[in-house]
Amino acid sequence: MSVTVRIPRVLSQAVTTGLRHEAAGETLRAVLEDLFTREPGLENHLLDEDGKVRPHVLIFVDAARADLETPVGPSSEIQVLQAVSGG
Amino acid sequence: MMRILVGTEKGAYLLSESGSDWQVEGPMFPGWKVTAFGQTTGGTHVAGVASNWFGVGVHHSENVVDWKPSDSPPTWPEGSERKMEQIWTFHNEGDRLLAGVAQAGLFSSDDGGMTWEPVTGLNEHRTREDWYPGAGGLCAHRILSGNGSMWVGISAVGVFRSDDDGATWVPKNDGVPSVDTAEGGERPEVGYCVHGLAHDPAQPSHLWRQDHQGVFRSTDGGDSWERIEEGLPAGFGFVIWRHPGTGRLLTIPLESSENRVPVNGKLNAYSSDDDGVTWSVSGSGWSDAPQFTGVLRRAFDGDGDGGFCFGTSGGKLWLTRDVGETWQELTASFPRIAAVRIVA
Repeated sequence: MSVTVRIPRVLSQAVTTGLRHEAAGETLRAVLEDLFTREPGLENHLLDEDGKVRPHVLIFVDAARADLETPVGPSSEIQVLQAVSGG
Repeated sequence: MMRILVGTEKGAYLLSESGSDWQVEGPMFPGWKVTAFGQTTGGTHVAGVASNWFGVGVHHSENVVDWKPSDSPPTWPEGSERKMEQIWTFHNEGDRLLAGVAQAGLFSSDDGGMTWEPVTGLNEHRTREDWYPGAGGLCAHRILSGNGSMWVGISAVGVFRSDDDGATWVPKNDGVPSVDTAEGGERPEVGYCVHGLAHDPAQPSHLWRQDHQGVFRSTDGGDSWERIEEGLPAGFGFVIWRHPGTGRLLTIPLESSENRVPVNGKLNAYSSDDDGVTWSVSGSGWSDAPQFTGVLRRAFDGDGDGGFCFGTSGGKLWLTRDVGETWQELTASFPRIAAVRIVA
């Protein structure tokens, strides 16, 4: 079962099919790994060299801040937030 | 008609000459720093982008307007304590495309920049533990090659040369003061803050160096360096460029390490027609208005026809079409300019 993953506009250049994606998995990690098979350009921008979510990148599952092991339900919505710091 | 790619703190822009004016397209890569441009031997354009939050990216284009991302930009191996912060430069060496990055390292691509392998002979150099950043970060920002040798400039580490296709590298900084050693102290192997490098493609071992500590040249591939600053208002700066046809050198002096703006606000390029022995203000067309701005180390490009363009940290572009005889300031303004490329 697929869930919706929304990414910020600043990452539009790293994907091929827009800002709303469908991906499957029972944890955030599994959903992202499934998404990366179709949008490989996203992986480097969301995860660091050690496979961890980059510092200052916030990912929410059903409006709650999540880590890679956060469970994902069949109707969950995942949202990657754009950092808002900077000038 | 000339076209100029401009990489800035906030996106990239394409300037296309249109009669006596310039058309500006962009921003491309909105929300991203655009830090380097290059071109593969096959003619595909490449751009390096960076984000404070989303890492780096490499993009490809056939027309410098429509860009596609690489799925596998340079990255440090898993478990490495190094972070991939920025791509500083691209360089063609044979059929390979090389990238100099921060945190400092060299990466090589055999497929036009789609995938990258680290150049371990440099990246894991025995002196690596002693590498420290300058104000611009710990960055490999300049690559030169010719006659079987390669040179890489790393701040604030120094110049390295390889004579075996990148397998091994030797620091080449004799004659240049280090940035943290008192006069008379023992010279360290690394700790030299090279800002810019140029050479003569016909005699690749003839090198010119804009360093944190001044302007220098070498006629022996970097084995030794001599100071060449006669006529310059200051030795500090980031730009050094040599026109391949005439041999004319250009540099843009800034007051000092502490005050990185033109001396008295007088922004000028300086040129030398005697291999750097003497320097004087390059040509005419400079503004009389105060210009308290800077020029970053990759914010310039020249072509073989006499075109040379540089961008300032204040977002302005200066252009010459005749190797510095006459200069014009373009009217458009941009964010802080990090990279410039004259597009053929």
